Amino acid sequence: MPMQSDMRSRIFVSVSALAMSLLSGYAASQTVSNTLASPESFSSIADTEVRSAAIFTELGKVLTHPRCVNCHPAGDRPRQTDERRLHQPPVERGPDGHGTETMRCSICHQNANFDPGRVPGHPEWHIAPREMAWEGKTLAEICAQIKDPARNGGRKAEDLIHHIGTDTLVGWAWHPGFGRSAAPGTQKEAGALVDAWVKTGAACPTR
Amino acid sequence: MTTLALTINGRAHGPREVRDDLTMNDFLREYLGMTGTKFGCGAAQCLSCAVIVDNPDGTSYTSPTCIVSAASFDGKAIRTVEGHAKNGELSALQKAFIDHFAFQCGYCTAGFLNEAQVLLERLAKKQVARAELEKTIAEALDGHLCRCTGYIKYHEAVRDVILADPKRYLV
Repeated sequence: MPMQSDMRSRIFVSVSALAMSLLSGYAASQTVSNTLASPESFSSIADTEVRSAAIFTELGKVLTHPRCVNCHPAGDRPRQTDERRLHQPPVERGPDGHGTETMRCSICHQNANFDPGRVPGHPEWHIAPREMAWEGKTLAEICAQIKDPARNGGRKAEDLIHHIGTDTLVGWAWHPGFGRSAAPGTQKEAGALVDAWVKTGAACPTR
Repeated sequence: MTTLALTINGRAHGPREVRDDLTMNDFLREYLGMTGTKFGCGAAQCLSCAVIVDNPDGTSYTSPTCIVSAASFDGKAIRTVEGHAKNGELSALQKAFIDHFAFQCGYCTAGFLNEAQVLLERLAKKQVARAELEKTIAEALDGHLCRCTGYIKYHEAVRDVILADPKRYLV
C-alpha cells in the first residue's frame, strides 16, 4: 500500500530527526560539569521546542547545583555545603525569608564572604520563598515552576533573564568563597542560556 | 586592613586599623584583652562567643563573634559579659545564675547571660502572658549549648528574674 509506505517513511524521517535532535542536545550538554554549553551549541537542533528544552536542561546544571538549591529548600531550613546538609546552627526562614526575629541571616552573613569564618555573605542574604522551593524536584518540575508567576515571584519569563543573569545574590553562586564549589560556567553564560530559552519559547524538558 | 571604631560597654574604641581577616572574637580577646567572651566551637554552633549588639532604635540582638569579622562591627555598639555588673554589683541575672548553680565550667555563661539580658529588655518593651513565659524563655535560650548543667538551671534562673518583677515583664 503506497499510502502506508509513505506514512511509514514520514514516521521514520520524523523519528530520525527527533533522535538526531535529542542526540545533538545530549552532545551539547555533555560538557565538563563545571562549564556551560553556549546557546549556539544547540543550534543544530532543528525543532525549536526541542532546542528550547535542551537549553533549559543545560541551565539545569546551575539550577540544581547546591549553590542554588541550598537556598531554595523544600522546608523552612536552608541547607549548606556541597553535601547539602541542613544549615548549622539551626536557622529558619522566618516571616520574610531573612530569618527569625532573634536569628536574622544578616547577623552572621555580612555584606561579603568572610572566609576566615567560612561564612558566605551578601547584603541581601536570605532564602527563597516556599513557593520557589526547588529541592527534591525534577528539572521538568522546576521548569514549570520557574515559568509560573505564582511560584516565581511574579516574574515574566523575560524577568528571569535579569534575575539569573545579573542579580548579584544569584551571582554569589559563582563566587561562593572558601570550601564551596561554584555553580557551573559563569553568571553571564547562565543568563545567555535563559535568554535563549525564553526566545525559543521557554519549553520544558519532559523530566 | 580596615579601620574599626565601635562602642563596647558604653566606651568608645578606635578608630584603629585591623586586618580584614580578623574575627570579632580575636579582636575582643587578643587585641582588647576582654576574655570574658569565649571562643567555643568556632562555627557559631554553641554561641558561647555571643555578644549583644545594640541597634540605634533601642532594640538589641545577640551575635556570634567567632565567625564574624571585626570589621563588620565598625560603627556599632556592643555589650559583653564585662559590662553587666555596675559599680562592682552583679546584675539580677548574674546573681540568679549563681543562686541556681546555673553553670559549672562557665564557658557558656557569657553567651547565656547576653541572650537572657536581650530577652529581659525585649520583654520590658513587649510583655508576654504568664502562660507564654516558659516557651518564650526556651526559645530565647535555644541555640546556646551547655555541657555541664543541662540548661534547666539557666532556664529557672531567667524565669526567677522575670517573676520577681512581673509588672515589668508580664501582662
